[in-house]
Amino acid sequence: MDYLLQQSMNALSLGGEYALLALGLAIVFSVMGLVNFAHGDLITVGGYAMFLTAAWLGLTNPVMLLPVGVFSVVLFAMFLERVAFKPVRGAPPTTGMLMAFGISILIQNLALIFVGTRPKAVPTMDFLMTNITIGSVRIPMVQILETAVTAIAIILLVVFLRRTTIGIAMRAAARDVATVRLMGVRADRVVAAAFAISGLLAGLATIFIMARRGAVDPFMGFTPVLKAFVAAVIGGFGSLPGAVIGGFALGIAEIMLQVVLPSEIAGFRDAFIFTAVGVLLLVRPQGILGQRPDFGEKS
Amino acid sequence: MTVRKRALAGAAVLVLCIVVAGLVVGEFAAPYYQRLFMTFLVNLIAVIGLQVFMGNSDITYFGHVGFMGISAYAVAILATPVAIKRTALANAPFGLGAVEISPLLAVAVAIALTLAIAFLVGLMMVRQTGVPATIATLAFLVIVHVVLVNWIDLTRGPRAFYGIPVKATLGWALAAAGFAIVLARAFRDSKWGLQLRASSEDLAAASAVGVRIRKLRLAAWMLSAFLMAMAGALFALFIGTISPGSFYFDLTFLTLAMLILGGMHSVTGSVLGCIVVTVGVELMRYLESGPVVASLKLPEMFGLTGFFLGLIIVLSMTFRPSGLLGSDEIDDLWHRRRLRKAGVEAS
Repeated sequence: MDYLLQQSMNALSLGGEYALLALGLAIVFSVMGLVNFAHGDLITVGGYAMFLTAAWLGLTNPVMLLPVGVFSVVLFAMFLERVAFKPVRGAPPTTGMLMAFGISILIQNLALIFVGTRPKAVPTMDFLMTNITIGSVRIPMVQILETAVTAIAIILLVVFLRRTTIGIAMRAAARDVATVRLMGVRADRVVAAAFAISGLLAGLATIFIMARRGAVDPFMGFTPVLKAFVAAVIGGFGSLPGAVIGGFALGIAEIMLQVVLPSEIAGFRDAFIFTAVGVLLLVRPQGILGQRPDFGEKS
Repeated sequence: MTVRKRALAGAAVLVLCIVVAGLVVGEFAAPYYQRLFMTFLVNLIAVIGLQVFMGNSDITYFGHVGFMGISAYAVAILATPVAIKRTALANAPFGLGAVEISPLLAVAVAIALTLAIAFLVGLMMVRQTGVPATIATLAFLVIVHVVLVNWIDLTRGPRAFYGIPVKATLGWALAAAGFAIVLARAFRDSKWGLQLRASSEDLAAASAVGVRIRKLRLAAWMLSAFLMAMAGALFALFIGTISPGSFYFDLTFLTLAMLILGGMHSVTGSVLGCIVVTVGVELMRYLESGPVVASLKLPEMFGLTGFFLGLIIVLSMTFRPSGLLGSDEIDDLWHRRRLRKAGVEAS
């Protein structure tokens, strides 16, 4: 029973991480149709911002590093939108996707050239590393916080999308950008907001990823974002509720397999999961909540 | 000339260029450059394989290198001498430790195996549109990598698989590359290729005039996997030592940059992109090592090659999203020139 509780906490926090990242991908995709392969590198950039702040400014107090991590990611996401993704706005989806892919390679190799291959340590709060004991179960603080922060972020996002003008404009833009512009909403502002939110969610994920890993390296963003992509595809690409459902489904599936698989074949975990996703897509090409792919034929 | 004859003439010119370059390199170049040229040919086949699917269906696809890996490992496991396998693969499953077949037969088996796997993956691929399809191919690449790294009894895991007979000669590689070019051009300008390209521009319209999109996509997918398998087998038989890392992101980035720079809708473009990027990467490797240029010691810059590939993709997407040649083939360029000349004379 205790074991079960511990593992379900594991699954929830991992699922939360995937959900945060998948939501960021889905928001940007729904507003401007961009498949942001550079999303994972936001995490890397946030990690390096924390590392450099600590190393250069001598700001080693981990509490002060938290806002640095989050806001550097938000700013960088908005910077990328301005510099890299504006030229490809309105271009075919392939162009935007390959652009993001190229940006991702650029960021990774810039980090490689200027900071080096080896992981750099980032100070983390001791508070995050403590365990909470409930009855006979010990649960790491970072997992509780991650689950809670994910839940709060999702609730705030829902409120934002339903109650604020820009939020409603974003939801409308997901349906039809041209009409939103005809209503007098500036497309620039909607897209910038989408990137800011996507960056904020990635920034929150960065904090927890850094707390768990304790170090940053040039390629650390790839695996989380690949998982987030898979999560978004499971849920139905472009659907926000789908991204959340997919994220948690993936997190739970990973932890379950980790528990169930004997150690000899534990290394194959990701292969099993991705194969299962492939089978799911064969049966249900649109994912859980997505739109059915339209081949222009009678169904 | 009909379109089809023109396509074959265009392909013939490309093949001729490659073969002449190959003969010159084989005759005069230093061993280092001969090896570089062989690598170029392997990459060229892979890029053309990529072009066959991506260029005609317009679905971005990252898993191609996975097929190369499957094929290369199949060749390695089947063709490596039993004496080497006794130490290298002591616990090979299915009695593969005692199997040793001729390299040519091994290539045939490897291609058949790759095609069988490609068919299963393809069934899922062709039912997807756009983004999920791309992510699915990326997931496929990760699956292949995870299996290669973890199935230690069969593949030696992350360690290098050595002792593969080095049987690939320049002649074989040239023949394979020429075959790939002709095959890709023949498909592109066939009725099927045209239909598939039409469907990539307007799915509904193509479907309305009776194009069987899923079937054609599957055909292009299988053809692409076939060329990838050829490239992988050639790679294994040329290098002699492979590891799972040989068939992962580095090679994916490299081949994608080649394809994108030249123009993914054109076979001629793929060849051109392959040439330009190969030269560029070689230059970057030189700069990366921190050479002395004009009595100036440059710093070592690890990561420059990757930076260069990323830059190529970003600049292409910003200034020329359809690549250097767009969707023009070499014979389209001539044809247009001839028309223009005729127009000038007439006026």
